[in-house]
Amino acid sequence: MKYSAPLVDGLFLLSKSQTKKRFINTGIESLNAVLGGGIPVGYITELCGLAGSGKTQLGFQLAINCVRETENTILFVDTKGDFDAVRIQKILDNIGSSHQEMARALLKIEIVQIWTMEELIELFKKLKNKSVSIENLAMIIIDSLPCLMFQHFGDDNKIGLTYLNIFVNYCRSLCKNHEIGVLCINIQTRWVEQDITDYIDDKDQTRDITYVEKQNRCLGKYWQHIPAVIIFIDKLKLDKMRNNGFCVKATVLRSNEIILEQHCILTVDSLGVR
Amino acid sequence: MSPEFKIFNATELWQKETSLPSIPTFCQKVDNILGSDGVPLGSLTELLGLPGTGKTQMCLQLCASVQIPKALGGLNSEALFIDTNTNFVLDRFREILSASLLKCQKLLNLPLNANNEEALKKLHYVNAFGLEKFCALMHQLPKLVEEKNIRLIVIDSIAFPFKEGISTKQRTGLLFRQMAELQRLAVDKQIAVVLTNEMSTRLGLSSGTVVGSLGDAWAHRCNIRLLLSAPDDPCGDRLALLLKSNIAPEAVAPFKITKDGIRDVN
Repeated sequence: MKYSAPLVDGLFLLSKSQTKKRFINTGIESLNAVLGGGIPVGYITELCGLAGSGKTQLGFQLAINCVRETENTILFVDTKGDFDAVRIQKILDNIGSSHQEMARALLKIEIVQIWTMEELIELFKKLKNKSVSIENLAMIIIDSLPCLMFQHFGDDNKIGLTYLNIFVNYCRSLCKNHEIGVLCINIQTRWVEQDITDYIDDKDQTRDITYVEKQNRCLGKYWQHIPAVIIFIDKLKLDKMRNNGFCVKATVLRSNEIILEQHCILTVDSLGVR
Repeated sequence: MSPEFKIFNATELWQKETSLPSIPTFCQKVDNILGSDGVPLGSLTELLGLPGTGKTQMCLQLCASVQIPKALGGLNSEALFIDTNTNFVLDRFREILSASLLKCQKLLNLPLNANNEEALKKLHYVNAFGLEKFCALMHQLPKLVEEKNIRLIVIDSIAFPFKEGISTKQRTGLLFRQMAELQRLAVDKQIAVVLTNEMSTRLGLSSGTVVGSLGDAWAHRCNIRLLLSAPDDPCGDRLALLLKSNIAPEAVAPFKITKDGIRDVN
């Protein structure tokens, strides 16, 4: 019995779910609405989009909003040197935070630079067995997972997949036991398919070649069903806005809640993401 | 290999980031759009553009800028130029270097001396032609950087070694491994890394058919992407467009290439 999974009844589950924190407030009302409350605690959330669509900026903003006016601490796992403390400080400054508030927020954002999958797994292992502990940890943001996984691209073995699997297991266990949310930033790539629509009489007519752009979330088939929530962001081509900003459309592709294919528009500029 | 990592606080990183200046391009407008008064240390900056848009010129300018003395807010350090495509022209570099030295001497009220032999010692050049030589060099890099005061590593161009003899999948894997090691070094030793990349054509793409080579996954890797363009009309300006950055919004800045190097448009 000692090693078996415990047997519980529905009432126990209900009382547990009522006392537990279910969401991390994103600090962005429209985003909270499409997510049904915020970033879910206890699950893996994916943030996906093309290069330069504002994923990292949204990650920064979520980090800021998560620690502002709360006791929360956040761990930002940086795999490509994108974390910029000066940018964080400038966002806080631009929205009118006092020096004291800025310092307090910065103190609650922890950053670790990780360059390989091995290091990432080692980190999660240490977090799990508590040899590395962070007080009041509410969320882990990983920017980005493909940067590590792509290093195993083109190998003849399945080491990359093995690492991903180990990572996911640690992640899930951490999420549940420490009641935190994990946000993984993933990227999107595109490929183009050519369709020749007119096969038969091409004597007089020029063939119609249509190009179909397909989009693909990276990290392979195994990963596709891992995240409980997927937020997809897409840069909108609009007129130049104030503060040199731009708009992104955030769509929730998958969610625990029953709200599918809802989207909201966010702006990204010197004041951060709103 | 035992994994080593350290958890920092954002305050500690803030102090580290603000302790050293960036490397100026000598064009104020371009420095401004980069959001950090030049090319930041510890980041990977990618220069994109068609042939003849000034990618190599920009690199040569940065190799000279890295030598700006500390009295003028510079780094007073050395540069490593990794040439994969015989783009480097010594005479052109000497021209830019002399102009940069004279400008600094003038500002510091020092006697003018255009002799740049001492300064030339601060440029380290490697011709890594072909994939094998390139990989071997990347492997040696931490050792090479060890005893020198290097603050800038230029790879001109990153795409060239990968043009043949490697499958797309293997290329992506190898590139990401090399970049992880390179950036680990860059962050650790506070070095700026500048890579140049060519453009390629992808028909049917919704965002325009001319894109940077090496694909969408690669587009994600560099922290800063700056696209350079030359005007069709000879009276027009050369433009630098910031496509992606972790610190600054998308923006455009004009610049010109003079005998002295990269400068502001009057």
